[in-house]
Amino acid sequence: MPFAEKYKPKNLAEFVDQTEALEQFLEWIKNWRPGSKALLFHGSPGTGKTALVHAYANEKNLEFIEMNASDWRSASQIQQVLGQSMKQMPLFKRGKIFLIDECDSLAGREDLGGVGAIIKIVRESKFPVVLTSNNPYVAKLRFLRQYCQLVQFRKIPVWDVEERLRRICKAERIKCDRDVLSQIAKMSGGDLRSAMNDLEAVAGGKNEITIDDLEALGYRERGISIFDAVKMIFKTKTALAAKLAINEVDKDPEEIFWWIENNIAREYEKPEEIARAFDIMSKADIFRQRIALRQDWKFKSYMIDLMTAGIATAKKDTYHKFTRYQYPNNIMLLGRTKTSRRKSEEILDKISKLLHASRKKLRAEYLPFLKIILRNKRNTNEITSSLGVEKEELKSLLE
Amino acid sequence: MIFLSEIAVWSEKYRPNKLSEVINQKHVVERIKAFVKEKNIPHMLFAGPAGTGKTTVALAIAHEFYGKGWRQNVLETNASDARGIDVIRGQVKDFARTKSIGDVAFRIIILDEADNLTTDAQQALRRTMETFSSVSRFILIGNYSNKIIEPIQSRCAVFRFKALSEADIRKYVSRIVEGEKLKISEDAINAVIYLSEGDLRKVANLLQSSAALGERITEKIVYDVASQARPSDVKEILELALNRKFEDARKRLQDMLLRQGLSGEDVIREIHKQIYSLQLTEEAKVQLIEKCGEYEFRISEGGDDLIQLEALLAQFLLFSKSPK
Repeated sequence: MPFAEKYKPKNLAEFVDQTEALEQFLEWIKNWRPGSKALLFHGSPGTGKTALVHAYANEKNLEFIEMNASDWRSASQIQQVLGQSMKQMPLFKRGKIFLIDECDSLAGREDLGGVGAIIKIVRESKFPVVLTSNNPYVAKLRFLRQYCQLVQFRKIPVWDVEERLRRICKAERIKCDRDVLSQIAKMSGGDLRSAMNDLEAVAGGKNEITIDDLEALGYRERGISIFDAVKMIFKTKTALAAKLAINEVDKDPEEIFWWIENNIAREYEKPEEIARAFDIMSKADIFRQRIALRQDWKFKSYMIDLMTAGIATAKKDTYHKFTRYQYPNNIMLLGRTKTSRRKSEEILDKISKLLHASRKKLRAEYLPFLKIILRNKRNTNEITSSLGVEKEELKSLLE
Repeated sequence: MIFLSEIAVWSEKYRPNKLSEVINQKHVVERIKAFVKEKNIPHMLFAGPAGTGKTTVALAIAHEFYGKGWRQNVLETNASDARGIDVIRGQVKDFARTKSIGDVAFRIIILDEADNLTTDAQQALRRTMETFSSVSRFILIGNYSNKIIEPIQSRCAVFRFKALSEADIRKYVSRIVEGEKLKISEDAINAVIYLSEGDLRKVANLLQSSAALGERITEKIVYDVASQARPSDVKEILELALNRKFEDARKRLQDMLLRQGLSGEDVIREIHKQIYSLQLTEEAKVQLIEKCGEYEFRISEGGDDLIQLEALLAQFLLFSKSPK
């Protein structure tokens, strides 16, 4: 039996996280009568939504009927599966509780009647119904929400995940370092189920795990936002966690590079940390340029390690503060000035031929002087006509 | 004296079109003259500091071979504006494979700032150089020859352009002074020589700008021009960093590089100069100058101007005073 299954809480006493959600759930179930609202559990995967209902049903000897909304194709099918069951008392148990998982996956499909069918179940069921959804605010669920009370499940704190893993190790007689467990916990991003799966994958029948075994772990697509990745890098003090933080981000390393670079001074406050962090970015940049110029991809991992692990470890202590991470402003600046830059490039290209110099060279070595030279009106005509540009064009370039 | 160009920008107007008029670089010029005499040149790589005559020699060669109609037989491209492989495969290859017009057997392709070409582009270039060597010659120009891949270097005659001496620069100054009938004091000439840092392009620009500001060019005018043409915000940016207003300093720096388009190396050199005038201990100044060298080196290794300069700026924080 997989760890995630084996170590699922069997009763509410074992269900230690999500105290707020648990309270709401108990309050709701105490007062539940046919026709009451359903509960809609929402939150990231692996935070205990199903486990809570399962533990409760087990403890109270209720029949636990779990369905996954993504398996349903149509309203009539839902009706078929649940129609009878929701009205009849079970034969051998004291009652029933329904769990309809992943309601958001139902909503996006062609089976639009599905939401209506769920609403019907909620309204007519003789037994409590709990729904789950990663995101309850998708538009398709807006009618369903009126029949539900929303309960939020938070990500499980890293130390709680770590503690769980430790208990599993003890039970399984697996010997392993503190570091290994805290690493797995950090990588889980508050998803207990994935942490248990990772532990199992790493343990793989062995009775000892070392930090090297973690290399084998694949990485889960969580599609976390760039903000979360940047936050991870700035807040963690573990090199590997920082390095892995960007794996899940749907942006290329080049763009992430600028995100990190631009937010260093927002997060870090001590001069020596900022100085060190920027120096590391400067080294990462050398690798970045080597990749670009020589197409030498073997340098990519150095660039990435420096810009993630290097930045994470540039701080002395983690700043326990909220930082509003910002979009890289040089990208913004380049975006804003795009039209005017294109215009000036065209003008520079004309001059470039005549002065035998690149645009870059013209900007750096000619324009500052031309600005002064053209202050003397006598020069203007002669220069513009010999360069084949209009006065206005040249002026716009010099502004 | 005949000049190549009617262009009213002096650096161009006083660019010689004959090899014999090139300022110094005798070791290079003599050998090239011999090639020209034989009506044949090898592929060549010109390396050396800015403003020492690399482009001028390349253009003079073109002139010696083709005369007035040189542009028909010469392709000039700039690798810093178009550094990808497409340019080499497209424009350059198309030009290289076509026969020359006139009695010279080959066409010339001048690739300026060739040290900016990507490695892929250089590989493509190497094949083009080989395939069409019967109908075309390449002249590659760059500050750093070590950024050109070895297979290309081995196919080229490599010419190293030397930094120019004070006497060399003085000679060029007097060409312009005579040509433009400038009234200029001896002190002003010395100032131009000092400020030019051996770069003839800068000599011409300094003189023309100074002449635009006064009938008689004085030492003061020259220094005024130099300070106006120089990235003016540099000192303020450094002071912001020293007062721990790092984000403000960074914004100004970005504006300077991205909006005004200044080059990183220019800004670093300016920072280098400004360090002496900052309120710092002598020891701190020297430490920061060492940092300037380090980040300028990283730029020359291919580093991005903005990143490297921001990193340099961040080092100033180490010498900042905490706000009271």
